[in-house]
Amino acid sequence: MFSRFSALLLSGRGAAAATRFASSLAGESNLPRNLLLPSNLVDPSRTKRPPPPADSPLPLLRSCDADIPAHLSPVRMWVDTLDGRDSEPLGVAELHPDVFAVPPRLDIIHSVEMWQRSYKRISYAKTKVRSEVRGGGRKPWNQKGSGRARHGSIRSPIWRGGGVSHGPRGPTSYYYMLPMKVRVLGLKVALSSKVAQGYLHIVDSLNIHSPDPQDLMDAIRHKAWGDSVLVVDVGEDFPANILEATATLKTVNLIPAIGLNVHSMLKHEAVVLTLPTLQFLEKKLLWHDQRYTPLYPFKLPYSDFP
Amino acid sequence: MSFPKKPPSKALEVLQGLPRISLTNLRPEPGSTKHGRRRGRGQHGGNRSGRGHKGERQRGTRPRLGFEGGNTPFYLSIPKYGYNEGHSRRPQYQPLSLRRLQYLIDLGRVDPTQPIDLTQLVNGRGVTVQPLKRDYGVQLVDEGADIFAAKVNIEVQRASEKAIAAIERNGGVITTSFYDPISLGILIKPVPFFLRGQPIPRRMLPGEDMVPYYTHADNRGYLADPEEIRRARLALAQKYGYVLADLSKDELYHMLSMRKDRRQIFFGLAPGWVVNMAEKKILKPTDEKVLRYFSS
Repeated sequence: MFSRFSALLLSGRGAAAATRFASSLAGESNLPRNLLLPSNLVDPSRTKRPPPPADSPLPLLRSCDADIPAHLSPVRMWVDTLDGRDSEPLGVAELHPDVFAVPPRLDIIHSVEMWQRSYKRISYAKTKVRSEVRGGGRKPWNQKGSGRARHGSIRSPIWRGGGVSHGPRGPTSYYYMLPMKVRVLGLKVALSSKVAQGYLHIVDSLNIHSPDPQDLMDAIRHKAWGDSVLVVDVGEDFPANILEATATLKTVNLIPAIGLNVHSMLKHEAVVLTLPTLQFLEKKLLWHDQRYTPLYPFKLPYSDFP
Repeated sequence: MSFPKKPPSKALEVLQGLPRISLTNLRPEPGSTKHGRRRGRGQHGGNRSGRGHKGERQRGTRPRLGFEGGNTPFYLSIPKYGYNEGHSRRPQYQPLSLRRLQYLIDLGRVDPTQPIDLTQLVNGRGVTVQPLKRDYGVQLVDEGADIFAAKVNIEVQRASEKAIAAIERNGGVITTSFYDPISLGILIKPVPFFLRGQPIPRRMLPGEDMVPYYTHADNRGYLADPEEIRRARLALAQKYGYVLADLSKDELYHMLSMRKDRRQIFFGLAPGWVVNMAEKKILKPTDEKVLRYFSS
C-alpha cells in the first residue's frame, strides 16, 4: 500500500515518468511488483519521435525567409495534419534558429510571466484612516481630572473602531513595462523551450473534417500531444469546424498569432502552429534583433515596421 | 568564408531531459531579488527604527537643506554672476565629427548617393537633436578630417573651415542653412508632423545676429552669392593644398547641385502642402491668397 503510494508520488505522469527519472540515475527501473497502473498512461519514449534527418524523403514544406547566420543551422521539424488518424507526417519544415533555438533563459520567462500577471493588476483594497472614519472630531473627555488615559478622538488607531494607521490606501496599480526587447526575447525563449522539450507541433492548416469536439480530442490523444493544446493561426478567421469543435472544450484553445504570449504557452502543454504562423512569428520576432532605437512610438507608421 | 557550424547549445539538450517548463516551475534567477528594508520590526530593525537617539534627527524636525545653524549659508555667501544668464537664448549645435559621418556612411546608415540632410542623419540615428533644449541643428566638427573619403552633398547648420575643406577635397558639396526651432522639430521627426494634418510651414529666415554668418561665402551659407561661393571654394583649395574637382563634369552633378529653397523644409515638398500618409496623397492649396502667402 505504502509502496504503491510512494510509486505514484514518484511518478508525476505515471510509471513512464518514473522510469524516465529513474533511468537517469540507474540502468534498471525500480518499480515495485504489485504496482497498479491506470490504463491510459502515455509512455514518452514511445511518443517522442526523433527530429527529421537531413536526408528525409518527405518534402520540405517551408524554409526560412530570413537569412540564417552562418554558424547556426535551421531547426528541422515534422509537419503533421490536425485531423485524421494517420500519424504519418506530411513533410518537414525548417525554423529559424534565432527564434526557435535561442538559449533557454528561464529567468526571462519568469520575469515576463510576472509582468503579464502584475501589469494589469489593480488592487482595490482600501481602508479608512482616522480622518475618514465617521465621527471622532470631539475630544472624548477632558485632558485632566477624569482619571482615564488622555485621548483626542475616538477614532484614533489605538481605539476599537478607529482608523487603520498603515493599511492599503486606495486603488493601487502594479503597472510597469518591461523593455520591448525583453518581452520579445521571452517569446523566443518560450518557443525554443517548447521545441527543445518536444511540445511544439506544426500543422499545415486548421481544416478538420468534423466539428465534433470528441473527434478532435481523440485525434489529440492518438497523437499523444498532451492534456492541453494551444492552437495558433495567423489572422482572425478560423475555419468553422475547428471553431465549433473547440468552443466547448476547456483544454484546447485557439488564438490568433498576435495574441501569442508566454503565459498561454506555459499554461498549455502543447503548442500547435500552422505554416503561415511560422512566417508571421519569424518576421515579427527577428525584426527586433536589428532595428534602430525608436524616434517616435512604434504605434505611428514606420517604413520598415513588420 | 565558411563558418564551422556550431552544435546547438548544451542547455537545450539538457532541457530535453528535464520536466516541462510550466507556471509551477518558474523561479527568478537566484540573487536577483533582495528583500527591502523593513523598519520597526525585529531586533535590528526595531527599537528606534534607524532614526538615531532623541533630538531633531529622531523627531524629524531638522531644518531645511543648506541651513548652517544661523550663519550665512554657503549658497548665499557667494555673490551671483551671470554665467548662465540668457542660457535659454543661446543656440546650441550638436557636434557631428567627420569621423562619425564616415562611420555612418561605411555602415550604410546614411546614403551618400542622395543629399544628406538632418532628416537622413536622424533616420540613421547618427545624431540626436533636441529642438526643445535650444538645439538649432548640427555642426560639422573637423575631427577625422584626414580619414574622411566620401563624396557627399551635405547640409548642416554650422561647419568649421577644416571640415568644409575636407568635404570639398573629396569632391563633395557642403551648405550651411538655418532652421528655426519649429522647422527643426518638423525636420527631425517628419512622420509625427504629417500625422498632425497641418500644412508644411515656411522656414523662417535667420535673425539679425545670424544673417552675417549665413550670407558669408566662407561659411558656405545658403543665403550667400553663388559666385562668391565659387571663389571661396578656389581660395580654400589653394589654402589647404588640394585640387578642386570640377563638379559640372561629374556624373552625380544633378544630385550634388540639389539645394533647398530658402523657405523649403523638405526636398520635393513645398510650404503649404498637406501630406496625407494614410491615403498616400499630397494636398496642395489652390486659393491665390494662400499660394501668395506660402510662396512669398
